[in-house]
Amino acid sequence: MLELEKKDKEGWISIIAYDRRNTSVEYIDNRRGMKFSMAEEKEAANTQVSELSTTDLKEKDENTLNFLDSVDNYLILIESLTSTLRQGWLELASARHSMGGSRVNTSLLTLKHHSAATKVEVNYDNGGSITKSPQLTLCKWASSDKKDSSFEDENIDNKESTKESNGSETTASPIKTENHLQKERGKVLSMFGALVSPKLRASQLSFETALDTLVEIANVRSSILETHHALLQHKVKPTKSTEE
Amino acid sequence: MANRAQIASKSSALIAMIADEDTITGFLLAGVGNVDLRRKTNYLIVDSKTTAKQIEDSFKEFTSREDVAIVLISQYVANMIRFLVDSYNKPVPAILEIPSKDHPYDPAHDSVLSRVKYLFSSESVASSGRH
Repeated sequence: MLELEKKDKEGWISIIAYDRRNTSVEYIDNRRGMKFSMAEEKEAANTQVSELSTTDLKEKDENTLNFLDSVDNYLILIESLTSTLRQGWLELASARHSMGGSRVNTSLLTLKHHSAATKVEVNYDNGGSITKSPQLTLCKWASSDKKDSSFEDENIDNKESTKESNGSETTASPIKTENHLQKERGKVLSMFGALVSPKLRASQLSFETALDTLVEIANVRSSILETHHALLQHKVKPTKSTEE
Repeated sequence: MANRAQIASKSSALIAMIADEDTITGFLLAGVGNVDLRRKTNYLIVDSKTTAKQIEDSFKEFTSREDVAIVLISQYVANMIRFLVDSYNKPVPAILEIPSKDHPYDPAHDSVLSRVKYLFSSESVASSGRH
């Protein structure tokens, strides 16, 4: 306990006592007969600051974990994509070898107006959060024909129910969906002739798998950028709190 | 009018590609090819005659289109316009660097992973400063 006596002009003594153990400060004014204590207020302030720090730390830890998880997922998915693409290129090369180089190249691609059969659905519904990026979902072989638009909805419905039931398939006309998929795949393959090598079909499936992986990578990339931004925000906060 | 790109909570969008012939052929087999009424495609085939300016123009065009959600770009092509790819930071369209047949993927050049490295390197500098 540190005590400091202070005498004012009129001779009245005030005592300032400082207790280092609990950092309390007492000020005794003998003239007015008053005693002030700063210990309680300071303790309350300290408790408040420590509570905030704990919450901040938890949030920072969570963001750091999410960031590292996302980076790990990203690297694993890239590895998977590389392997799938390599298989696709090999199968394409085999198809070119069996069908001939003139039958498997981009000069056969038509520049007639046609819309993509495989698109990405962008979901902007982020629960009102400004910082959350949209989620991407792949929609494979959605026909542009109005007659077949019901198959597109089925594909989306099937995907949603699959997500909910953790991989179990619905029984909503899977045969029709499969037939539609084969029909759409056949339309694209017909660019390369009426009879195509099985390797070309296999290559088509490999690149479809690669597309699934790519959409996952896109979503993980969003997660990395979000958590990266959050961690940078945390870096700014501690400098402000130390200044206070 | 200001938020025309995000009026719908869900919208369908294309996958654009800037890559070599085999990669483009493969993804076109998967059904991502789109040709509009003006005969503009959602892909650019990069070969030995393609200039950096053409790649740059295509990249800028695809990233400014509202109907494109993902831009696939071969990493060796991205290296030719690295300054443009690294300075891009919008969430949509997402820029994904992919390997090509003749140029394997290098994580050191990936724009997303280079931001990760920056974060860790700035952390290590900060912690070494405290000691």
